This record gives sequence, structure tokens and C-alpha cells, in this order.
Amino acid sequence: MSGAVQTALAPLGGPARRALRDPLVAGLVGLCLAAAAALLVAPPAPFLVNVLGQLAAFAILAVALDLVWGYLGILSLGHGLFFAIGGYVCAMHLLAHGAAVTGVLPDFVQFMGWKSLPAYWFGLDHAPYAFVLALAVAGLVAFVFGLASFRSRVNGVYFSIISQALVYVAMLLMYRNDTGLGGNNGMTGFPLLFGWPMGSPGVVTGLAVAALVTLAAVLTGTRLLVGSAIGRRMLACRDDETRLRTLGYSTTRLKLGIWCLSAMIAALAGILYVPQVGIINPRVLAPDLSIEIAVWVAIGGLGRLGGAVIGAVLVNGLKFWLSAAMPDAWPFILSGLVLLVVLVLPNGLLDLVSWRPRPTWLGGQR
Amino acid sequence: MADPGRRSPKVLLALSALLTFWCLAVCAVPASAAPLDRARFTADLCGDAAGQVRGAESLVQAGGDLAADDLAYAGRLLGALAERRLACPAEGAVLFDRPGAPEGRDALTGAVRPVAETRAPVLGLRQRAAVETARGTVALLTGPDPASRAAGLSVLERRIATVPAALLDRARDAETDASLKGTIAGLAQAAALSSPDPARRRAAIAAVAASPSGTAAARLEALKGDPAYASDPAFRAALDAGLAQVGRAVAVGNALAILYNGLSFASILFMAAAGLAIIFGLMGVINLAQGEFIMLGAYATYGVQEAFRRFAPAQLDLYLFAAIPVAFLAVALVGIAVEALILRHLYKRPLMSLLATWAVSLFLVNLVRVGVGTQNLQFTMPAYVSGGIPLYADFVITWNRLFAIGFAAATLALTLLILRRTPLGLDIRAVTQNRDMAACLGLPTRRIDRLAFGLGSGLAGLAGVALCPIYSVNPGMGSGFIVDSFMVVVLGGVGSLAGTLVAALGVGGANVLIEPISGAVAAKVIVLVGIILFLQRRPEGLFAVRRRR
Amino acid sequence: MSALVVEALTVAFGRFTALDAVSLAVDPGEVRAVIGPNGAGKTTLLDVISGITKPVSGRVMLGDTLDLTKCSEAEIARAGVRRKFQKPSVFPALTVRENLEIGCGPALSPGERPARIASVLGETGLAPRAQALAGSLAHGEKQWLEIGMVLAAEPALLLLDEPVAGLSDAETAHTAALIRGLRRPDRAVVVIEHDMGFVEAIADRVTVLHEGRTLYEGSMHGARGDARVIEVFLGR
Repeated sequence: MSGAVQTALAPLGGPARRALRDPLVAGLVGLCLAAAAALLVAPPAPFLVNVLGQLAAFAILAVALDLVWGYLGILSLGHGLFFAIGGYVCAMHLLAHGAAVTGVLPDFVQFMGWKSLPAYWFGLDHAPYAFVLALAVAGLVAFVFGLASFRSRVNGVYFSIISQALVYVAMLLMYRNDTGLGGNNGMTGFPLLFGWPMGSPGVVTGLAVAALVTLAAVLTGTRLLVGSAIGRRMLACRDDETRLRTLGYSTTRLKLGIWCLSAMIAALAGILYVPQVGIINPRVLAPDLSIEIAVWVAIGGLGRLGGAVIGAVLVNGLKFWLSAAMPDAWPFILSGLVLLVVLVLPNGLLDLVSWRPRPTWLGGQR
Repeated sequence: MADPGRRSPKVLLALSALLTFWCLAVCAVPASAAPLDRARFTADLCGDAAGQVRGAESLVQAGGDLAADDLAYAGRLLGALAERRLACPAEGAVLFDRPGAPEGRDALTGAVRPVAETRAPVLGLRQRAAVETARGTVALLTGPDPASRAAGLSVLERRIATVPAALLDRARDAETDASLKGTIAGLAQAAALSSPDPARRRAAIAAVAASPSGTAAARLEALKGDPAYASDPAFRAALDAGLAQVGRAVAVGNALAILYNGLSFASILFMAAAGLAIIFGLMGVINLAQGEFIMLGAYATYGVQEAFRRFAPAQLDLYLFAAIPVAFLAVALVGIAVEALILRHLYKRPLMSLLATWAVSLFLVNLVRVGVGTQNLQFTMPAYVSGGIPLYADFVITWNRLFAIGFAAATLALTLLILRRTPLGLDIRAVTQNRDMAACLGLPTRRIDRLAFGLGSGLAGLAGVALCPIYSVNPGMGSGFIVDSFMVVVLGGVGSLAGTLVAALGVGGANVLIEPISGAVAAKVIVLVGIILFLQRRPEGLFAVRRRR
Repeated sequence: MSALVVEALTVAFGRFTALDAVSLAVDPGEVRAVIGPNGAGKTTLLDVISGITKPVSGRVMLGDTLDLTKCSEAEIARAGVRRKFQKPSVFPALTVRENLEIGCGPALSPGERPARIASVLGETGLAPRAQALAGSLAHGEKQWLEIGMVLAAEPALLLLDEPVAGLSDAETAHTAALIRGLRRPDRAVVVIEHDMGFVEAIADRVTVLHEGRTLYEGSMHGARGDARVIEVFLGR
């Protein structure tokens, strides 16, 4: 960064300057904003716009996981749950909104033979309420699960597989038809978004732009966080939690706070994802999908927010392309990529450009 | 009684006397039966509508006592009547080979004689029903194969109220086919329960209650709607007592069945989790590919079955046993390869080893999917793993689940033997408890890791063998119960086989216990919540020893 | 009053009794050395005082009012207890300055931190390495950084677990000087050490632990003359 830019950033204060001095994150934020502007000025084919928007949503999800895994050492194999909470509440809003405007009940409600939407759908046709509800539910579920786990000091591999069981149980639950959330078919056929017809070019572009801008905001925010005193405590907690506790810090509170924040960011990604693909069903809760999120982060570069974004975009871009072009080969490519990264490039693909020396903690993390 | 010739003549004599007596006792039943009045029977069938019905019904009523040749005679005659091959000239009934033939056989003597007048008696609707019932009686009692006897039974079933108990009892006692025997017995009971004779009904209720089952309960329950329940106090008391008896027995039987299913599910869980627990205790690695190792074990079993089919079809039934060493070694080798190529580099990064083993599982699933196909594999189930014996009420000891339970018990014993009594086991325990110290003492910890990983993987292969008779085998089967076995490892505590066993019994039992009350999904939710709550008290699991930091 | 009172403390790991009814009292301003052979229970004693291990029975009173066995690690630290671990426990991904900033504890206001950090950097002699990542420090420097981290909170009770293990003679001398400089009227220090010369140089009194029990308590000179102590240490 040139001196002129640094001078220009001076009014932002210490942490902000420090955050934006991370060239990778700064570059990605700029790229997101530039792409959003380009979409508004000269949108390409709707398919491409849609893919770009989905990639941005996945990138947000990856950043959420990197925040807890890369900076706090907590590997969640259940982040698909929070993503799904955001997605489900968003889908509920879209259906409730559609029903309120058109007067036609969603398919699955008619399928179950109900006369109206279940009572707990009340008010979900109002977007702000639905938005707050999605984040609140994700945060609350994360809080309860996190409190139970962190308080009893469940961590490491133990935590990972318990979080996997959590998302698995949630999947079983959502496969039931009597939950009022669409059962195994999930929810689809969203007619309107804020009154505009779903799938019209304007809505597609708007959603993609929203996802890109949100990604830029999330990247900036999380970068400010990890560059702050709290971020330093996160690294300290990741590397030696007992040491940090014996220095007078409540690591349970620290972990719980970041864990809930991460869950809410994942829910945000779900909110942005569902209207773009037009469907949500219990398959997003499959344990494999949650592991894949960790795979994006590991491939891109664990412990660097930019790495998470690059990993998510790269893996999902490849998936879009290859699972259509050669569906049988994709799982082999993915597993090969994971093994390559895990064995040869412990810091992910960013090792290839040798961004910074290999952090020593990778050798001693336990 | 290998060689009776060596025994003294006295014993021989006693034996033959006994044999004679037994023969008399058994053979006496048909011998003492009243013989069929063939002339009268023939005349009835040749007579008017009322005579035909009388003849047919009398045969049904007497069916339980008639000798076999009488039944055969009646059967021939009834068949001819139904198929219009019977003529009734004045000199006696004649049977034709086909309707309208110029000559036939005398019904009574069997002598061939020409017949001028071939008027065949015509059957009305009512007569036809009576004749069919009579034919059914003959078919049930003398049919050469189970299918023809079953056909006869189904004819009788339509008019069960007119069928005497003795007939069904005789058919049941003589029946050799087990399932048909059961059907006859059930029908006999039903007939007795709806009998007009109150004493017989009460006896039937007691008989039904004596062999309790869910269907018996339903059958008795249905009798509450009978008018006699309100009007006949003796009947009412008998029915209430019978219902209570059946209800108790069915409850006990169901409880036993739940325990049995829980035990078999726990056995599978234990087999899936034991390998995981050994590996986790030793290296801190959770092997996400353990489910796929189980799948490979099942596919190895399939391979052994196909090899038997091809090279030793006569011994096909033994393939499950032959598969045990094959599956163990094959999967152990895969595990050792995975350890040597991948995990060896990741011991200090357990979270990365999670991802690496996930990649291995993805690879294996798709390899099998592409190489073998996605369909369920077809297994030939040998007799020792199909069917079962009903033990009490509705509780049936099924051989396939017993196989899994026995298999798990044998695996547990063998694993304990390896861990406690072999040099490798001693090394594994030493490294599990203190890796650095073991290394200082000169133990080759890396080689021990590899062998232990092979052992843990081989155990997964064995689980695959045990699963074959119970679950369907396909490339995705591994993911089905892998989450449950992770929970078992977490609950059991690090590297404790006893903990794994107790946790498997707990998780398996809880799942099976809760399932009938609130459904399979709720069972999983409750078990997970229970485990999280339990970890609040003991974060290290059931059996982990407190260690110094 | 005493700074720290340990009453009849018993700790068991499975069937192994690590501490068996150990009692001791440390006065304010005192430097107490706890010595004993391997497995005597020294580190376990510190683990209980700093809250990492919970005892089967017994109490640990800080300043006559607070029972530390009822507190979490963080609460104990906030009450003014700091612990230096045997294996240097610094945060490798953070710089020396960032390590010390965390060492100041959550209670110290951000405004006071720079002055405190600067003074600790001076005391430990780490000022030239302030911007270095802690993971890149030499072993001795890590030991000093960790001592600096526990000093930054100005603790009332300082627990040091083998502060000179693995250090050269020159580094040991530097560390001894550092610890002598820590002595204050309102601060108690408990040191665990094998190096008898080092203990004699810094400690007012010694407690000798053996197989989980207190074998001797008194001056270092007295300990050298005590028959049981000599037997346990095989004439050392």
C-alpha cells in the first residue's frame, strides 16, 4: 500500500488501518464491490449472475467457519445447520409473503391438507421480522449448543463430531413431514421477492449484488475483529486455552461470543443463498455438506479470511463446472484436492504464492 | 442306538413290544374310524338336490374319522360330480374319463362297463357349495402336496362355521408343512371361538390364551363384541381372564423383543465403534472413513460369496465364515495403506486428519459406486441366519440378529485377547497411555500406530460381515450408522474398550427403547441431547481416567 | 495473616494419590520453594492452586477469605494469582508485545497498558524483541516472556514452575536476579525447582514434598541437614 493510501486511511484509527493493510482481504473487498458495480451497470447472462451470487453466499459461509476454526481452533462440522436456519427462515418469509400477496397457500401446506399456514409462521411475511428471526434463531441454537459444549470444555475432535451429530439430528428432524417446514421435499416455488416476481433479471441481479456487498461487509467486519484485541485473544485461545484462562480471561465467554457470531454469519449466507437457488430442503443439513465447508476453508487457506473466500469460490466454481461436465469424476477430484492440500500444502492453496511464512502453531495444534 | 444287535434279546423284545404298542396306538385312529357307507354316499350324490347336499355335508361332518381309501373314493366321486363325469343309471353310478364318453368305470367296483344313458346330475348353486366344501375336505386330508392341501383349506375357510373341529384337528396333526400347519391351527381356533357350543368356546378361549401373541390378543378382543359377552357370565369371565393372560404375556414378549433388538443394534454399534475407539485412543484421530471400511467389509463378504458360488457351490452356506478372515485382512490392509500414505503425516493435526479421512471416505464410496454399481447387493442367506424360533408370545429369536450378537461377543473377546495378551496389545496400551514414555523405552511407536490402525480397520471389516444378514449392502451404507458410532466413542471415553461396550449398549438400548414411544427421529434427538448433558458432568466420557495436564 | 494457606489437600488421579493431605502456609512477601523428587506432587500442587485440577478434599485459601478450590481458573487469576508453567507457555502466533498486553489481564484499562508493558519489557530485557513473534523466540527468551506475562498483572501470588529448567548458567543467573527483583512486601512467590543452588539463592523457606506428603518445612540450610530429606534425595 502506498503512503498516500495510508494517509487517507489515517482518520479510520488504528485497528481499521491495520485491517485494511491486509492486502488480500482489501483486494477481495475491492473485487466484490467492483463486481457488484459491474453487475449493476452491465449485467451478463442471468445464469452467470446467479452463479456469482451463489459463490458469494458460499464465501460468506466459509468466512463464518474460518472465524471459528482458523482463529479459535474450533472445527465445526455442523455449520450447515446455521446456514440452513437462515435458509429455512428466508424460505418461510418468501412463501408467507407470496401467500399474503397472491392468497394462494404453498404447495406443501395444501399437500398436508392444512387450511392455513401453521401458527408459528405468524408475521413472517414481514421481511425485517423474518431477517431478525433468522439471525436470532441461529444465534440462540448456537448459544445453547456452545454453552453446553464450551462450559464442559468439550473441544478438539470431540467438539467436531458432536457438532456433526447435531446437524445430522437436525436433518432427520427436517425430513419429517409434520414439522410444517415442507418435510423431505423442502420448500420451493417462491413467487415473489419484495413484491417483484422471482427470477426476473432485475431480482436475479439484485440478489447477486446484495450477496457481493454483504460478502464485502462481512470480510471487512471480520477482518477488523480479528485485528483487534479480541482477535489477539482468539489466537491466544486457539494456541493455549489453559494459559489464557490462567491469565484471567473467561475463554468460555470468548468462544461462545465468536461461535454465536459465526453462526449468525452462516445464517446470513443461508438467507442470501435460498432466494438465488429457489429451493431449500433437508439435504443442506447432510453431514457431508457441512464437512465440505471445512474443505473449502482448508483448501483456500485456514486462518486467513481471504483464503476462506478463495477456497469457497474455487471449489464451488469447479463443482458448478465439473459436476455438470463429468459428474462421476467430481468426487474423485474433490477428494484428491483435499488430500493434496492436507498433505502437501498445509496452509492451503495460498501456500503456492507463499503469502507469509508457515505459522508455527500448525505444527503444534492439539 | 447305533447297533441294536449288540444288545441283549430281552431289551430287544421290550423295544419291539414298545414299538408295536406305539404303532397300535397311532395307527389305531384311522383303523377304528367308522367306514364310509359307499353305496349310500353314491346314492345320495346320484339323488336329488337335497340328497346331494346331504351326502356332501355328511362327508364333511365325518371327514375327521374316515379312512384314507374312503376319502379317496369320495374324492373321485365328488370330482366326477363337479366336473359332470358322473352318470347314474339304474344299475349303479358310473365315472367317465371325460364328459359324454361311451364307457366308464363302475363307481363301487371299478369295473369297466358301457353306459347307454349318460345323464349327469346337475348341480345347483347350493349343492355346488356343499360339494366344493366336501372336495376341499378331501383335498385337505389327502392332498399329495402342501399347495393342494392349502387350496383345500382355503375352500373350507369360506364355510368354516360348518367344518367340525375334529376335521381340522386331524388335518393339523397330519400336516408336515410348518406354515400350513400354523394356518390350519389358526383356523381351527377361529372355528372353535365362533362355535355355537358354549363349553367348546370357553375351551377355545383358554387354548388361544395358552399360546399368547398379538394376533391371539386381537382375536380375543374381537369376541368382546359377541352377544354372549353381555349375556353369558361364564363366557365373559373366561374371555376376560384369557385377555388378561394374553395381555401380560404379549407385554413381556414385546419387552423381550425390544431388549433383543437393542442388544443386536448395540452389537453392530459396538463392532463399528470398537475400531474407532482403539484408533482414537491411540492417535487422537477420528476416522471418518470407518463407515466406508464397514462397507468394504460387506463387499468383501459379497466377493467371498461369489467365489464360493463359482468354485465351491456345494459349500455355499459356509461363505459367511470364510468371509471373516478375508474381510478382516482386506480392510486391515486398506487401513494400513491409508495410515502409511496419509495419516502418518497428520498426527499433530487431528482436525486435518478428520478432513483427510473424509476425503478417503468420499473416494471409497465413489470408487465402489463406479466400480460395482449403486444397487443393493444380493446375498444368499444360509439357513443358519434365516428365520428364527418363536420363544415367547410375539418374541422371536431371529438367527440373523443372534449371529450379529454372537459375532460381536466373539469380536469383543478376541480384541480383549489381542490387547491384553499379545505383545502388540501391550505396545498399543503403552503408547495409548503415554506416547513419549513409550518412545523413550524404545517402542517403535510409528509401527505400532500402523498395526493398530490395521486392527481398528479390520474390526470395521468384521462389522461389515456381521451386517450382511441384517442390513442392505450398498456403497452408501457406511453413513447410516456412523454418527451413532461416533457418539458411542465420545460417550465411552478415549481408548477404553469397556467404555465403548457400555456406551454401545447404552446408545443402542436407548434408541430401541425410545423408538416405539416417540419415533426413530425423536430417539436420535433424545440420545444426542442425553450425551451432551452427560458430557456436562464427565467431559472425558464414561471410562476415561483423569490425567495430569 | 497468611497470603496463601493450603489445608489438608488431597488429589487423586484414578487410583493414584498425587497429593495426600498436604498443608502449607505462605506469608506475604515470602519466597517459598517447593522441592522434591519427580512424582512428589509439586506440579499437581500448583495445578490445584491455579484451578486447573480440582482436589478430592481440602481447601486452598487466598488471603484468608477466598477458597480457590471453588473458583474457575479465570476467577483465580482475577483474584491476583499468576502461574508460570513448566513448559514455556506463550502464544506463538502473537508478538512479544501482544503477549504482554494479554498478560496485563482483562481488568487493566487500555490506557494504562502501554506504560505497564514498557516497564515489563524493561524488567525482562525483551524490549529489543518487542515486535518479534513469540513462536520465534529462543527457549530462554520464552521463559522470560512468560515471567513477564505473569508479572504484567502485578500478581499478589506468583506461582513459578521450574523457571530455570533447560537454561544455561548465564540465563539461570539472569532469571535468579529477575525473581529476586520480584520480591515485594505484598507479594508471595511459590517456586518449584530442582536446582538446589538456584533455590538457595532465591528462597526464604523450603517445603519438601515426597510421594504426595510434606516431608520437611523450614530453611534451606535445615533441609540440607535433615536425615529424611537426605535419604529421599540420595545425598544431594
